[in-house]
Amino acid sequence: MSPDDWKDAWRPMLQATGRDFAVDSPEVWGEPIEAGALLRYLEPLEFDCTLHSDARQARRLGHAGIVVPMTALASFALPLMWRPGDPPLFPAAERNAAPVRSPVQGILFGLEPATTHFLAVGSDADYFQPALVGDRLCRRGARLLSCTPRQTRIGRGAFIEWETEIINQRRERLALLRTTFYRYNRTHEGDR
Amino acid sequence: MQRHWQDLCEGQPLAPVHVPLTVARLVMAAGANRDFNGIHHNVQVARAGGAPDIYANTYFLQGMWERCVRDFIGPAGDLIGLRGFAMRKFNTAGSTVTVEGRVERRWRDGDAGMAEIALWSHCGGEVTVGPGKAIVRLPMRAGD
Repeated sequence: MSPDDWKDAWRPMLQATGRDFAVDSPEVWGEPIEAGALLRYLEPLEFDCTLHSDARQARRLGHAGIVVPMTALASFALPLMWRPGDPPLFPAAERNAAPVRSPVQGILFGLEPATTHFLAVGSDADYFQPALVGDRLCRRGARLLSCTPRQTRIGRGAFIEWETEIINQRRERLALLRTTFYRYNRTHEGDR
Repeated sequence: MQRHWQDLCEGQPLAPVHVPLTVARLVMAAGANRDFNGIHHNVQVARAGGAPDIYANTYFLQGMWERCVRDFIGPAGDLIGLRGFAMRKFNTAGSTVTVEGRVERRWRDGDAGMAEIALWSHCGGEVTVGPGKAIVRLPMRAGD
């Protein structure tokens, strides 16, 4: 058995490179962006710019309202995790249990071998126009750009790069994002 | 202060942004940007995944880069791209992330004044994010 046999499990993903896995998926939208939610976004960053907090100043600069930071677009496109009528998000009191539904579990379409962990490792972005307070955003598409099996100090898995876009309620494209995740099974103690 | 494209020169440094990462701040960031993955607020989950402690999430780290860039380009500038935002090391609780940058090049694109800004984050003497770059557009000073 070759020491690299584990990479074979990723072959279906490699072969799917270029495919948009979300072409038949329903669109999922975030909630309308509220000024208070935006201020709370800025809070841990101590991000002090009138563009993001003062409608009068934003209009003076030619915008129709308060502008959302470009790097916040993906966050404001996240859907609610629970809404009235949904089943419980936290059905049991197991200390470290994740919510049973989460929009931040990365992109999974079933061709991947099972892994126990994942983390985001990088991203590139093109920003075309900003979102404003009051807008609704949707992250759509999931084009597989690359899949690279690799053993790292924290585990064995693959770096998977996806391309998605952010649109607003007028279906205008605001951003094109290329995000790389590392999906892995633990093999060693160590750093990223 | 609003900076203009004509004010830029290659090699010009950006003012560093220092972000001390306390547990409270990481929890506040998770609540603000909705990345509730346990690796960012639960030390047991973070360690099970191979990290030494809870660590800053992608949105938070990207926001630090945008703040650094925005502080430099002013409210009338535009961030139009990010490249090479690579998270190489964990930015863990108890450390301070510092974002630094410098103007790599500037050019005209028709009437627009463009620039490429190199950016990197470091913690404890190690680069943890990047080096990458931001592509920005700045207003032109009238009359130049």
